[in-house]
Amino acid sequence: MTTLRTPPAENDDLETAPPTGKNKPTIGRWVVFGVMVAIAAVMLYPFVVMIVTSLKSETQFLSGSGFSWLSWKDLSSTIPVGQEIVSSTIICSASIFLILLVGLPAGFAFAKLHFRASTAVFLVIVSAMMVPLQAILMPEFVNITKLGLTSGYTGAILVYAALGTPFSVFLFTTYFRGVPDELIEAGIVDGLGYFGALWRLVIPIAIPAIATVTVLQFIQIWDDLLVGLLFIQNTSDRPITVGLAVLAAGRTTSIPELMAGSLISALPAMIVYLIFQRFLVKGLTMGIDR
Amino acid sequence: MTLRRRRQFSGFFFALPAIALVIGFIGVPIGQAIYYSFTQWNGLTSTWIGTSTWTQAFHNTNLWTALQNNALLLLAVPFALGLPLGIAVLLHQRVAGWKIFRSIYFLPTAISWVVLGLVAERFFAYQGTLNSIIHALGFSHVNTNMLGYESTALSALGITFVFTMIGTNTMLFLTGLATLDPSLEEAARIDGAGSWRIFRSITLPHLSRFIQLAFVMTVIALFSALFSLIFVMTGGGPGYATTTMEFLIYQTGFNQGDFGTAALYGLILFVLTGIVGVVQLRLIGSDE
Repeated sequence: MTTLRTPPAENDDLETAPPTGKNKPTIGRWVVFGVMVAIAAVMLYPFVVMIVTSLKSETQFLSGSGFSWLSWKDLSSTIPVGQEIVSSTIICSASIFLILLVGLPAGFAFAKLHFRASTAVFLVIVSAMMVPLQAILMPEFVNITKLGLTSGYTGAILVYAALGTPFSVFLFTTYFRGVPDELIEAGIVDGLGYFGALWRLVIPIAIPAIATVTVLQFIQIWDDLLVGLLFIQNTSDRPITVGLAVLAAGRTTSIPELMAGSLISALPAMIVYLIFQRFLVKGLTMGIDR
Repeated sequence: MTLRRRRQFSGFFFALPAIALVIGFIGVPIGQAIYYSFTQWNGLTSTWIGTSTWTQAFHNTNLWTALQNNALLLLAVPFALGLPLGIAVLLHQRVAGWKIFRSIYFLPTAISWVVLGLVAERFFAYQGTLNSIIHALGFSHVNTNMLGYESTALSALGITFVFTMIGTNTMLFLTGLATLDPSLEEAARIDGAGSWRIFRSITLPHLSRFIQLAFVMTVIALFSALFSLIFVMTGGGPGYATTTMEFLIYQTGFNQGDFGTAALYGLILFVLTGIVGVVQLRLIGSDE
């Protein structure tokens, strides 16, 4: 088979862009450095608060002095962290899988296999990106409830998948437009069929786009509150962000334990973010940065 | 079947699941929201009452309070754009360790607004960081409790919103700056232009599309992503001081059980974001 090395429309690497300032250390550059340290302190403030507060018992927190591991030891009896992390993971994985499952073929179709009114349909799907869930919250809630999907994760997964699909279709379509038509035609002539062309030719070169969608959706779904709060009936099925928010809004849970839970909930998304930073940047600027 | 027909058939077949998902879970509910906004609806039974939901809603002071809160929060947008722009320009100077700074600045972007809201609540609390800072500055008799008062709670929410947007917008602007041709700046410098002049005449015009995109994304977030912050920080209060449109929808539907009015409020939010959305689509599509 033909070797594939066509990265379509990807040029924005922050790392390789040439620097502007002069690299000699001057007083001005020291001032810039100082300001940047100050900003770093502000941006790290949430982490400092979470770490310091979680290392106190409730009495130490109220009195303002002393440290202990007590809140970490008692954490699992207040917040079912392990169970909630499992729920979050299942919901995220299933939603992202669905988004890719419907988004990849649709992107391929809109980019390469034009059918009647495909441009209009594409525009309708992309416009759905602009519909906030709150705008359709009441009918959505009643529909999902009437279908009996609020027990277990199904309802939440379907809603997340539907909300994530427009962006993924837009991103995949844009990406696949950069794949040469001849490549697809060659595949068809070789007897691959359209499904084979999608599976064997198109998806392998779409890995960066798939990574972008996966990372963006992972952070979005992991961090979300509204869908998990309303579309999951059993409190034992709650994802971690929802569990934390409900305890926090209840105003009765000890603050140090809430902070310990927050830190745990923040870790997975932070790790994903630090590893895949550049995919996030690409996804955000998709469509403008060409 | 001809090759052309086969291709069209496959294309439609491939796009169908995405179309079904979007129509079923986004398209249909928009239609339902329109229908139910003319009914008395508690989630189970609905009775057609015509436009009276609409007239009642527009006489409801809560709606106007929420709209006013949204409008006031728009005042945070210049800060949510200006601060990241400044930070991006600083990062672009590439002083020692700028990549580490970049990672630190973007890190809060990964964190849920639920968690950031929790931390912000600690910051503004009576025994929180804000008062500690004020006391350290020598004003030991001054004690704030911004989330506790109707007059200041919305400002505290706005400040938190600005913080939560810094990472994303800095990321956008930094990407924009990376595409700027450094030889342009060099040429201007040789011609004797100062730093401010270069920023005004070269950097800002170059960034205009990125600033437009950041503006649209910030306004959309302001209308539809504050729910988590409000839920953990204030619950919409004190009174209705921090109830925005999206939170009013939730309260009307789930606390008061008035699904019809909540559906109607959803439509109003839909129109508001729709206006901003049209602007964004034009930005994205303008070079196609």
